[in-house]
Amino acid sequence: MAGYVFRRLVSAIAVMAMVGIFVFLLLRLAPGDPAAIIAGQSATEEMIAAIREQLGLNDPMPVQFIRWVRDMLGGDFGTSIFAGRPVLELLSQRLEPTVSLAILTMILAVTVGVSFGVLAAWRAGGFVDRILTAFSALGCSVPVFVIGFFLIYFFAVRTHWLPVQGYVPIGNGIALWFVHLILPTVALGLGFIAFIARVTRASMLEVLSEDYMRTAAAKGASSYAMLFHHALKNAGVPILTVVGISFAYLIGGVVITETVFNIPGIGRLVVDAINNRDYPIIQSVLILTSGLYVLINLTVDLTYMLIDPRIRY
Amino acid sequence: MIISRRDLIKLSVYAGAALSASSILRAQAASEDTRVVRVVLDQLPSGFDSHNTTSANTGNHALAIYDMLFAFDSQRVPRPQMIGNWGVSEDRMTYTFALRDGLGFHDGTPVTAADCVASIRRWGAASSAGKLLMERTKDVSKRDDKTFTIVLREPFELLIEALASPSQILAVMREKDANLPPTEQVTANIGSGPFKFNQDLAKPGASFTYDRNERYVPRKEAPDGLAGGKVVKVDRVIWDNISDQQTGIAALQAGEIDLLLTCPPDFYSTIEGDPNLELQLVITGGQCMFARVNFLQPPFDNVKARQALLHLVDQEAFMTVIAPDPRYRHPITSMFGNGSPYSNDENMGWYKKGGDPEKAKQLFKESGYAGERMVILDSTDWAQGDVAAQLLASELKKIGVNAELAPSDWAGITARRANKGPVDEGGWNIHISSWPNGALSDPMGTALLQANGENAWYGWPKNEEYEALRAQWAVVETLEERKALARRMQHLWWDFVGAVFLGQAVSPSARQKTLTGVISTDGLVPLWNMEKV
Repeated sequence: MAGYVFRRLVSAIAVMAMVGIFVFLLLRLAPGDPAAIIAGQSATEEMIAAIREQLGLNDPMPVQFIRWVRDMLGGDFGTSIFAGRPVLELLSQRLEPTVSLAILTMILAVTVGVSFGVLAAWRAGGFVDRILTAFSALGCSVPVFVIGFFLIYFFAVRTHWLPVQGYVPIGNGIALWFVHLILPTVALGLGFIAFIARVTRASMLEVLSEDYMRTAAAKGASSYAMLFHHALKNAGVPILTVVGISFAYLIGGVVITETVFNIPGIGRLVVDAINNRDYPIIQSVLILTSGLYVLINLTVDLTYMLIDPRIRY
Repeated sequence: MIISRRDLIKLSVYAGAALSASSILRAQAASEDTRVVRVVLDQLPSGFDSHNTTSANTGNHALAIYDMLFAFDSQRVPRPQMIGNWGVSEDRMTYTFALRDGLGFHDGTPVTAADCVASIRRWGAASSAGKLLMERTKDVSKRDDKTFTIVLREPFELLIEALASPSQILAVMREKDANLPPTEQVTANIGSGPFKFNQDLAKPGASFTYDRNERYVPRKEAPDGLAGGKVVKVDRVIWDNISDQQTGIAALQAGEIDLLLTCPPDFYSTIEGDPNLELQLVITGGQCMFARVNFLQPPFDNVKARQALLHLVDQEAFMTVIAPDPRYRHPITSMFGNGSPYSNDENMGWYKKGGDPEKAKQLFKESGYAGERMVILDSTDWAQGDVAAQLLASELKKIGVNAELAPSDWAGITARRANKGPVDEGGWNIHISSWPNGALSDPMGTALLQANGENAWYGWPKNEEYEALRAQWAVVETLEERKALARRMQHLWWDFVGAVFLGQAVSPSARQKTLTGVISTDGLVPLWNMEKV
């Protein structure tokens, strides 16, 4: 297994290197000039040229690329062109809201989604299954901003039960932190609940038709034992894959949810950086996110062994 | 599993308790915030240094934490701020300024004349108004700790106006900060203004926090525009960044923010129907939208084609799509904008309600235009600019012009508009943008009003006769003389068509009725004087 992990980590480095080259070139070839944005609407060309020079944007592209890679290997991910602060510091500020939202969303999505999926498979073709299938279709189809504004209107503007927007760090009080994340978690979670429920249902249906399930039933196993001890464990691999991919997606930042609920997370950081052509932020976030994706996928692959002992690397 | 009635009752009690708990938590937070004002002023500043950017957001930031030597009042008259006494020599070539008492930086050091001299030099190297001053200045030097002089090499009657210019404000910094080159951003954020920037709570892109500078000594005069006493009546102002307008309105309705600087037109009736909220014109002048043509490339290198565009535009139609509420839109017929002392009606025979497409068609024909591609830069992430570009393209097509939109985000536009080449080499013909109405009364500092060829703002208009008149602006002594000069300049401006205005749109702000003392200006937003009642 150690060899497998080593090979995956080496391939991760190759993936990140390719992402780095691609992102660097894409940004430099895309139209847009951070110096012109810094200088503002009525700036003269002379002023913009001076800022370009000061930022090192006039250097040849290979020089800029080598400088970036060299600094990054030394642990320096650069300084934001606009905020004037180290990119890692900005990222660390934005990581907490994104991770908080991702964890709460996954807890909600896995708990409810798996339960719905199991229930739907258990009552396949029946009324409950049809209701849950309809819910899944709805959850997958309705855009998150529609759900978001709906929730805001009823639970924040009309009733004042929950806050409309913003994020309170967990260090300022767990209750306030949680209250601010309820609506975004629900808005974002509905889609994931639907997705996980569908995968769980399909996977469970496959397992429930296996011979050993019939054997378990013949031996008098209870419905609970059949569903959760025998079926769910064997249906776990696809579910775990979906959960892993979803979590990696959430960690990369969910722009629309963060925008609708005004959560200062990674997604909004990247969008703002793209609008401003803040190269160091975009490059660093994409590199780190791609690394994280690879790591999460690796962790998921290794976790398969815990669920299914037949899997060996 | 059987769910009993008792279980349901228990569940309702728990759910109710949970929801009440959240309301209690929020109420607690609200009561703690009675001395805190939360505002949403468009985007957060993307830079901190007002010397090296013309961005209004950075201007608002600088206005809070730095003080200025002079500032404009609501009538655009410059008033002393950090200056106690000042005078000018009989030959009007030497200005002497003495700082008022009680000025100190946030780090505890006193403000000295050396700080002012270094700040003037830095600002003078970067800003339009500063460059005008420095071109005419022989020396800026300190006399003693509290006194400094500006010695001119030629008369400059706008010196005080230049020092008070709000378009790129002269923020007085510590000498060590001001010694940095203007292209290098000052990020220390240590000023001597009425607010202190709270670095620990700064979340770039999310929110900035400004704490009351308890050591600030305000002037005795009442606040007026950007001038007068800067009295801070709350402990803290938090500038939030809410990028989605609908979320901003919902946050205002729920009482989570106190002021939303730009209220989207769709929500005027919602705000007016809410007993807790009201609209206020905080930025009184709004924005003047215009189409700037590229003077270097055909067809607009020909004055007839430029005049054709001028006659084609129906400002009412543009304003209807840009600012749907008629209370908040006005046509512009003077190059000095609306409401300025210099706004006038010289040579405005081109203005016709509904535009004049037939005249435009004829003028395009006279210019020799023969169906070449006409590229209009279209900023798709700026809604007003986007609809204006689409409407203009449509109007041009109706009279047989081969107009073509070049869609891009604003960042892409800022890069492409610098291209002076033909459209086949990535150039452009028409660029739509906006300028604050208040700035149009300053032809010396406002880049849009220059016509000095390739040194001018994008579009690069050239008219030497106009430029000769513009140079006079700095030396005429009285307001009446300047008004007369304004008329002569405007006569030429509409002849060579420096820009084609699409109209003036003002956007009211939405605020809680409990928030009072919000000062209205024609551009920047002062954070002082606000209080919650």
